[in-house]
Amino acid sequence: MKKPWKQDLKAVPFLLPFFIAYFTFTILPIFKGLEMSLYDWNLVGKLDFVGLANYTEMVMDNRFWRTLGNTTLFVILTTPTMVILALVLALLANLNTKLKTFFRSSFFLPSILSVSVISFLAIFMLQPYNGFINNIIQSFGIEAEPFWMADPVLAWVSIVVVTLWWTVGFNMILFLASLQDIPEALYEASEIDGATRWEQFKYITLPQLTPISKVILLLQVLASYKVFAQILLITGGGPGGATRPLIQYIYEAGFTQNNLGYAATMSYALFFILLILSIIQLRYQRSEEN
Amino acid sequence: MSNSKLLLRNRDPYRGLKVAIGVLVSILFIVPIIWMLFVSIKPNGFATSNPLDWFAPPFTIANYIDLIWNSMILQWVLNSFIVGILTTVITLIITSLAAFAISQMKFRFKRFIFIFFLLGLMIPGEATIIPLYEIVKAMNMIDTYEGLILPMVASPIGVIILKSFFDGVPKEVVESARIDGCSYFKLYYKIVLPLAKPALAAIGIFTFIGSWNNFLWPYLSILSETLYTLPVGLPVFNSAYSQAYVLPMTANAIASLPVIVAFLLFEKQIVKGISFTGIKG
Repeated sequence: MKKPWKQDLKAVPFLLPFFIAYFTFTILPIFKGLEMSLYDWNLVGKLDFVGLANYTEMVMDNRFWRTLGNTTLFVILTTPTMVILALVLALLANLNTKLKTFFRSSFFLPSILSVSVISFLAIFMLQPYNGFINNIIQSFGIEAEPFWMADPVLAWVSIVVVTLWWTVGFNMILFLASLQDIPEALYEASEIDGATRWEQFKYITLPQLTPISKVILLLQVLASYKVFAQILLITGGGPGGATRPLIQYIYEAGFTQNNLGYAATMSYALFFILLILSIIQLRYQRSEEN
Repeated sequence: MSNSKLLLRNRDPYRGLKVAIGVLVSILFIVPIIWMLFVSIKPNGFATSNPLDWFAPPFTIANYIDLIWNSMILQWVLNSFIVGILTTVITLIITSLAAFAISQMKFRFKRFIFIFFLLGLMIPGEATIIPLYEIVKAMNMIDTYEGLILPMVASPIGVIILKSFFDGVPKEVVESARIDGCSYFKLYYKIVLPLAKPALAAIGIFTFIGSWNNFLWPYLSILSETLYTLPVGLPVFNSAYSQAYVLPMTANAIASLPVIVAFLLFEKQIVKGISFTGIKG
């Protein structure tokens, strides 16, 4: 009988490379962030211990609440629209036609493009005077020259539409996979009972899709709370900060205003929001799987 | 095709309408991408107020040649490839090694270690990026390839997927190899890894696309223009043009063509990969 520690030692070379990278770049930042949030800390390094001053500053900071509000507005605007659009697209891509692969590819293609590409596509297409979209509107005889980025409502519409177009494909695939998992026998049996297509959709398809819908909903809330790059690139957070998300404010506090301690503090707030959401999500997903 | 399916299909009076809507929506989805590709082959300085003019000749590849010779784009493409490939290879190696140990070896605290790795699923990278910057800075890796790559390689979801794949390797195969005196490393390399090719391919494709498109971390950690990846370099390049589209769209097309080609080649694996991970990235 070998000594158990000798057996344990054999696993070390297999586990160590992952463990080192995981510990250094995933786990350690959580503790480092806590330390930073308790200090006056700039780009050069650690200055004075300030206790909870960064936290009290955050609670009193209107810009923190405003940008958190903007991020939350983005979550509210994109989540339901995303789930519904993803379902509609999945139903289209599940139609019994030779075009179904073309549908699926088209809906998914934007998802593989870089955020920088889709953002500048949006900027150039939405440009006033010679932008593709305004020219199309005018070619229908409508005399309008919308300034998409200058008006808060239009800016939000642009960001939401671009985000839906860019990311809906992923959720569509999740719906599509569940649609294809629904047993054909359910439809056959209901057919014999004389159900209409609408009744089949309402009483078979939708209930069968409920679990994946909830997973998609939660994943979407989680993903939307992390919004940053497309807003930074498309509107820069404007007009007048109307679309500026929390992560942009964190970035600016840290790297423009040279206050990494405060940036780390606000990151902690975001961390806890996301942590709670992902615990809910993982719990839910696990209970569905069992 | 079964009779019942035929019956269902024939009963839908709106099928034609639905297919037509599908075609229309598909076109709406790809028009911006097609537009980008057409703009990139228009003569430099071309402008029009008629949207259809973009899709009509004259065409030229002069912009591509211009950008390849006179801009940093090619360097950024190269950087994105180097970072993408190294990130993918290192991710596959370290996650498969860890997954192998957890799936096939016996050691103490195994359950604890696995749960510890699982915790990573709940840690959002966006919320730890400020301290991550300080850690990478302390390691003198800001503004280097290593600093771009190493923080991105410890993928807990990769370990989970590979572990469940390795769990499915038949026990008899593993045991008979062990009895024949096969070392753990040989077992990993010669037997278990080849059987997990589909999972490795899915994780590899996702890691590469994720790295190719990663924005936030390179945006923070890279300062020199020569080390920019495409997502960071493109906005710098594009911002220099406000009204003229042609050159920036060529740059966007150069950034997109490799992933579009990869998508068309690996579409099946990508679609399968999504439905079997169920989690982004």
